[in-house]
Amino acid sequence: MSSLLKLHPVSAVFGAFLCLNQSCTDSSAVEKITVTGSSTLAPLVADMAGLFEAKNPGIRIDVQAGGSSRGILDASSSLADIGMTSRNLKAGENGLTSHRIALDGIALIVHSQNPVSDLSHDQVISIFTGKTEFWNEGNDRKIVVVNKAEGRGTLEVFLKHFELDSADIDADLIVGENQQAIKTVSGNPLAIGYVSIGAAEYEAANGTPIRLLAVDGVTATSKTVAEGTYPISRPLLLVTKGHAVPAGLTGRFVEFCQSTAVHELIGSHLYVPVRE
Amino acid sequence: MIGGAARLSRNDRLLGAAGGFAALVVLVGFGAIVFDLFQTGTASLSIPFLVGKVENGGRAGGIGPVLISTGMILLVCLAVALPLGTGCAIWLSEFASKIRFARAITAGIDLLASVPSIVFGLFGMVFFCRTLGLGFSITSGGLTLACMILPIVIRTTLIGLSGAPSNLRPGAAALGLSRVSTIRHLLLPVAIPGVVVGTTLGISRALAETAALIFTSGYATRWPEGFDDSGRAISVHIYDLAMNVPGGAANAAASALVLLLALLFINYLATLLADRWLLKRIAPTSE
Repeated sequence: MSSLLKLHPVSAVFGAFLCLNQSCTDSSAVEKITVTGSSTLAPLVADMAGLFEAKNPGIRIDVQAGGSSRGILDASSSLADIGMTSRNLKAGENGLTSHRIALDGIALIVHSQNPVSDLSHDQVISIFTGKTEFWNEGNDRKIVVVNKAEGRGTLEVFLKHFELDSADIDADLIVGENQQAIKTVSGNPLAIGYVSIGAAEYEAANGTPIRLLAVDGVTATSKTVAEGTYPISRPLLLVTKGHAVPAGLTGRFVEFCQSTAVHELIGSHLYVPVRE
Repeated sequence: MIGGAARLSRNDRLLGAAGGFAALVVLVGFGAIVFDLFQTGTASLSIPFLVGKVENGGRAGGIGPVLISTGMILLVCLAVALPLGTGCAIWLSEFASKIRFARAITAGIDLLASVPSIVFGLFGMVFFCRTLGLGFSITSGGLTLACMILPIVIRTTLIGLSGAPSNLRPGAAALGLSRVSTIRHLLLPVAIPGVVVGTTLGISRALAETAALIFTSGYATRWPEGFDDSGRAISVHIYDLAMNVPGGAANAAASALVLLLALLFINYLATLLADRWLLKRIAPTSE
């Protein structure tokens, strides 16, 4: 054995590490809950968790990103105590209670060189289904439709609002995250896409060459979302298993995320707090 | 004859120019990336940034906990992959040369090296996090990375061992040295540069890894208190800042700069160590 250790000094380190890890798993006296889901919501909820932890010593809230569908799945299967989703629950997703913590509008964006600043409901449908193919009547500026990938919260909200099916969309490009959509549109004067309003407002205010389009004459801003006049918005939800408000730490954290104590935090993450 | 020689030298010049151009393209490409990172990231880079906690989703504060988590993940990864990798390579090279099964293992190892990292990530999530019950933790992340870099460590150690002069083994046997002594005193010193190269490549791949870690070591940005804590690795942090956090671009670039500098430092250290061991290594006596 000793010659083996000499042969591999590294295995001694490995052994020491195993012992260390053992002692760590034994001392799990802290109360811990796990939150998984929407990558849109994860940075916000992680900060809420940090604030909650600071106010309640001895409590651990682990936030993990992975998409809305995964959050719903993990909450249903009890892999997570709380799921995060940036869309409403669908028909088949039963046995869960949703808790609204904030709102997010979805803005249609184009490159700032594009002269268009307002589209009607029907024009948006016509563009995204490929019926309108050009920006101008001269038919030389072809529209580049930037769509979101399957499973993205923004895609689901967009489709539901315009009563479209995923297969109806005639997309030229398919992207994942909001930032990716913004980078794509800001790099292509012919592109149109849709992203979270807060993110679009922030990027536009900081010099990224994009414009937020008004829909049916209503400007796309955090303010119109908060007032409820802007038509395309989505709730940011926490979901828990069962039909009652969860008990214990899980319930306390959900309550905290809905309290006015986190409104400033929600604003700093560019989402809209829910005001009763 | 003379014309032929002239044409040859013109070809030589052409080849040299083409090679030089290729090198220039590579250099400009790399330079553009580094320039962009410096331009976006230098303003955020500071000592408080390196040691501070993550605030406001990463837009503010620093990357202190992320660096600690990354270091701990790397420690777990290397503590598992190095002994397993070198052990496996020694067995394959010194003990299993006549076993047909060993060839299948070598083929398997090479296949493993080409598996996309997201596959390792999903495997790690199912096996380490759920089946072994390690949950989202630095241990799960480190073990997943260890699986990923194992092929690199085994391959480079094998190459190191195959570089040993062929007369070393019968010579040692003729002197009555046991196999363990032969390996320990003669072959391992020869293989060490290979191990160092493998470790460096492994560390580089591990540090740059996002897909294998986001579902295993996870997303948490608090200061890790143990190996069973979830901890965000630096590449996951850069990815999240660039993709999910509006206004995270400056800190994403600063974090990427830190990663780049860390990799340069590790490469430099590895070269230094390899040189030192090469000097100290036992020179085989001439025939």
